[in-house]
Parts: sequence; structure tokens; C-alpha cells
Amino acid sequence: MLSVKGLKASVDGKEILKGLDLEVRPGEVHAIMGPNGSGKSTFAHVLSGREGYEVTGGYALFEGEDLLGLEPEERAHKGLFLAFQYPVELPGVNNTYFLKAALNAIRKARGEAELDAVSFMRLMRERLKILHLDDSLLKRAVNAGFSGGEKKRNEIFQMAILEPRLAILDETDSGLDIDALRIVADGVNALRSPARSVILVTHYQRLLDYVEPNYVHVLSKGRIIRSGGKELALELEEKGYSWIAGEKAA
Amino acid sequence: MNNAVLQAPINLEGWLAGGTEPLPGEAISWLRAERQDALRRLRVQGVPTAKQEGWRYTGLRSLLEQPFRRHGESLTAIQADDLDQVLIEGLDAHRVVLVNGRFLAHLSHLAELPRGVRAVGLRQILAADPDALEGRLTRVAGEGAHLFSALNTAGIDDGFVLLVDRGTMLERPIELIHLSVGMDEPRVAQPRHLVVLEEGAEVTLIERYVSLGSSLYCTNAVLELSLGQSALLRHYRVQIESPQAFHISGVFLSQGAASRYEGVNVGLGAAWARTDSVVRFSDRQAVCNLQGLYLAGDGQVMDYHLDVEHGVPQCSSRENFKGILYGRGRAVFDGRVVVAVDAQKTDAHLSNKNLLLSREAEVDTKPQLEIHADDVKCSHGTTVGQIEPEMLFYLRSRGIAAPLARRMLCLGFAGEIIDALGPQPLREHVAEQVGQRLERAPAE
Repeated sequence: MLSVKGLKASVDGKEILKGLDLEVRPGEVHAIMGPNGSGKSTFAHVLSGREGYEVTGGYALFEGEDLLGLEPEERAHKGLFLAFQYPVELPGVNNTYFLKAALNAIRKARGEAELDAVSFMRLMRERLKILHLDDSLLKRAVNAGFSGGEKKRNEIFQMAILEPRLAILDETDSGLDIDALRIVADGVNALRSPARSVILVTHYQRLLDYVEPNYVHVLSKGRIIRSGGKELALELEEKGYSWIAGEKAA
Repeated sequence: MNNAVLQAPINLEGWLAGGTEPLPGEAISWLRAERQDALRRLRVQGVPTAKQEGWRYTGLRSLLEQPFRRHGESLTAIQADDLDQVLIEGLDAHRVVLVNGRFLAHLSHLAELPRGVRAVGLRQILAADPDALEGRLTRVAGEGAHLFSALNTAGIDDGFVLLVDRGTMLERPIELIHLSVGMDEPRVAQPRHLVVLEEGAEVTLIERYVSLGSSLYCTNAVLELSLGQSALLRHYRVQIESPQAFHISGVFLSQGAASRYEGVNVGLGAAWARTDSVVRFSDRQAVCNLQGLYLAGDGQVMDYHLDVEHGVPQCSSRENFKGILYGRGRAVFDGRVVVAVDAQKTDAHLSNKNLLLSREAEVDTKPQLEIHADDVKCSHGTTVGQIEPEMLFYLRSRGIAAPLARRMLCLGFAGEIIDALGPQPLREHVAEQVGQRLERAPAE
């Protein structure tokens, strides 16, 4: 599904990613952990096509196709979804209108018929129910005046509507209380399927109590320095990142 | 009419002289006096120059170069099917239709108005009952108004008159459609409207300026709005005209005690459109909410001037205007709010926000808040910005291509004003028109 090899990227001439390798197969959940400044968010941003990053080496293939040459919307059309660490407020842009435009843009790009208003509303209500979200969400402007937790839940709701093939959650768990964390985790778990993959970018092990990853990777100074099963996360939690970094240095 | 009063080199003589039908009411002495007085003011004032405040950003040359002539005939040939093109689907309203400044009874639907409401053409009432207008017409838009308002008064011809008796509440809105139709030579229409709401009356007035085709013409409209004690006027103005047209509007509002005005101005333009809103409070506890949305692209100038004077205590006003400029579009926002020394407990908030979609687009915004009283709540603010790349990326990351994403953000920006437009069909109409303009705007 996603094949990243030797990926190098810099911001303002400063190299952040220094040769990152990652292989994600369909149905897998990968957690990418690492201390602040290790390049976790940069990795998520580069994959989603955010401006301001210069790819200086390596490649990323998404279902066999070069991902990094695509516009952000084209990546979404192919089935990539980024849950933002800091979801953006869009005052005056209604959530329902926004999601309908997004879903239909994706469907259109794939040669599928656009959903009419009735089918779309049915889909919205069904997904709200699965995620235990309040339908007042539909009437509000996108993220405008939302609390931190509401914004993250709205990201998960968008993900549930757009049904991506690969979802990247960029520190979606940060700043959440336990209830919000559970909603986010339930959303991810509900989405899990043999055809769908998830990359969880996170600083803490906490989310992984609720979403069980197949693999855990530790990112440090722009490279994955260690990979393992979910037990790696527990070990990290116990010993701290300095343990890995120290081991590597030794 | 004595043409010599307007001196060369300006081309304004034709504004009063053209046409075959003479001005109405020449025998009405008070009207004759008002016209003469306006001519006197024209002579004294002359044509404003760019050195004058209020005209600093607006070159008048392109307007004055046009050999506009008064539109002196009634275009009775315009039929209902012509009008169909400009109607808003689903909008349920009493309808008043003017074509090139002249009231057309055969296109208007005013039969279902309730008792206590008098809605007629200005020429009609000048012929039948001129006394009903004495002391009312020209009362609010008199001294101090600019050249074009004086020109309108000097050439008072036709328009719409709405007189609403005490305590009368009108449920359905009144829709005033001003349709402009291009002629063989450039014409100027000077409609004159008068709205008087007596104590406790409540009315919704939708005022639309539209055109058939894309010809060159000028509309110079003056509205006088007079609200009695506790009266309520919801006033939605939507101006969407020929890309070659010139449009001038003077809206003069006088508010009595505890009266309320909810005004929304939407301008999608002409080549040049200037709107002056002049607000005066005659007594306490009146509320004036004045909102606006303007768009301008290549070859367009949108020009807004607000002059709100708090001369008495305890009134509140809110002025909230937003603009979207694209291509080489230009806008001027000149918002002046004065709080006089006696106007304690005034609550006044002036805001102007602009979104520039291109490097060539331009806005001159000048909010002025002059406060001479010490116990007031006042604020003002302006912004001029671009679409935030973060917002654009967010939408694109969800699969929405950049042009639609930009449009969605612009409509989101404008949404606050569009939502204030009352009847849903009107809101939808304006949102659609704004969307279409933005769709045609060059991407950058």
C-alpha cells in the first residue's frame, strides 16, 4: 500500500527527514513514535502534500504510484487521509456542505456517481451514530469555535465519511481526555479492515492501549531507528526515548 | 429647466434635460422650491475634486465624460416575460417595478397590500395627492448631501413611495425592482424613493438593481427613509448590474426613538458603483445595524461611504462591511461614525474586512470613529488579508480542488452577511450570484 524508501526532506534548508524507510501493507496499523523534533509530523506532512517541505531524496509509492508528485487533493482522491494535529478552523464553511463537497470530489475523481443530498444525510447520520457524536456537528462551521477535543473528533468523523485507504493520524491523541481518546480510538477501530491501513503518529503510548498496532517504529533524528511489535511501545513508555537513542549511540 | 446653472466643462446638463416628457409637479410650489434649492446647491458645490474628502479615491472623470441624458419616457413596452429573467424563484413579495427610473404599474403587484399601507409610484401620488408628500419628500436628504443627491432632487421625476400608518405590520416583504434597459444613447435614470414608517410600523423592503443586457447607463438613486418611534425596517439592497453601468445610491435614514433599522447592502457591481449611507438619530434608544458585502473584479470599482451621526444619547449602531476583491477589482470603504458630545451611552461598532484574491486587487479602507462623548462603548477595526494557505490546504487535503476550495472559503467569509438577508430565496440567490462571480474570477 505505502512504500517509503530513503525519504529525505527539509524545511528552510534544514534537513528533517534523513532517509526514512517504511513499508505498510493493506490492513496494517503502524505506530510511529518518537520524541519532539524527531520528524514525526514532518513525515505526515510530506505524505499529505503540505507546502513548505522540500523532498531532497528517496521516494514514496502509494499503491505503486509516486505519491510525492501529486497535488494534495489528488492524494485524497487516491485514498489518503491526514487527520491534522491542529485542525484548521473554517469560519462560515458549514460542516455538512464541506464534507459533501469533499466526498463528492473524491467520488467524481474515481469515476463514481456523486451522492445526492438524501443519501449523503443518511450516511452522515449513520457515521455519527457509530462514533457516538452529536448531530449538532452537522450544522456548525468546520471546527470554528470547537474545543480541542471536538476538533479531533471532527477529524475522525471526516475520516469515517471519506473512508480512506490509508489514514495518517498526526498526534490525534495529544491533548485529549480519556473520553475523547476513546472516541478517536473507536473511530479508528471501526475503520479497520483488511483493505485499509493506518499510520498513527504519536508521542505517547496511551492511544495504543485502545488501538492495537501491528508494528511500532521509533523515529529519531529523521530516521526509523527501531521497529518492533506493540511491546516496543510499552518498553518505550517504561524506559523513555533516551533508552533507544542511548542504545543506538552506544 | 435652466441648463446654464451647471457650468462647463461637465456633462451634467443632459442629466436634467433629456427626454420628451417634462418633470412632473411643476405646479406644486413646495416641489418647485425644493428643485430650485437643489439647483442652487449644485451651483455652489460644483463638481467634487479628488482633493475633497469622500472623493479622494474615486475618480469621477470616467463618469463625467459620458454624455448621459435624462431618461424622460416610460418604457411601457417592457412586458412580464422581460421581467421574468430577473425574478428570484420562490420569493414571495408584493412587487414594485421601475424600468429606467419610471414606475410601471402593469408590472407591479400591489393589490394585496393591507390597510394602512400606501405603496404607489411617485408620479402617481404627485398627480393625485401631492399634499401627502409635503414636508416628507426631501426632508431627510437635504442640505449636506453630495452633488449627485442634489442632482436627483433637482430632477425629481418618478420613484416609489411607501407610507405605512401607525402600528401597521406588513408580513410579506415588498420587493422593489429597479430594472435598467440599455437605450440607443447613454441614459441616466434618477429614481427617487420615499419610505415613511409611522410609529410602531414594521416592514421588510427588498430593493434590487438589475439590468437586461450589458449596456452603458447610469442610475442615480436617492432613498429617503424615515422611521417613527419604535418602527422597524428590514432593508435588503442587492445591486447586480451591467458591467458597463454606473450606479450611484444615496440612502438617507432618519430614526425616531427606539426605532430599529436592519440594513444589508450587497453590491456585485457595475463598472462603478457608489453608495452613500447617511444615518441620523432624532431620539433615544434607536438601533441601526448596517451590514454590507461587495465584490469587485476587473474593471470594477465599488465605493461605500457611511456617515453615521450619533447626535442623541443611548442609540446603538453597528456597521459591518466585508469585501472580496479579485483580478484588478477595486473598492473604497469610507466609514465615518461620529458620536456627539451629548450622545452619552452610545454603542457604536464599525468593522470592515477585506479579502484580496489577487495581487492587482486593491482596497482603500478608512474607518473613522470620532467620539466627543465620554461614556460610550465604541470600537472600530479593519482588515485586509488573503486566503490563508492553511485553510486552503485543509480543504485540498480532503479532496477539494483549489478553485472550489477558494470559492468555499470566500463564501464562508461572506456568509455572515448573506445570512443576514432575511428571506431564504433571497439568501440563496445572492449566494449563487456571489459563487458565480468567484467562479469566473481568474485563479492566482
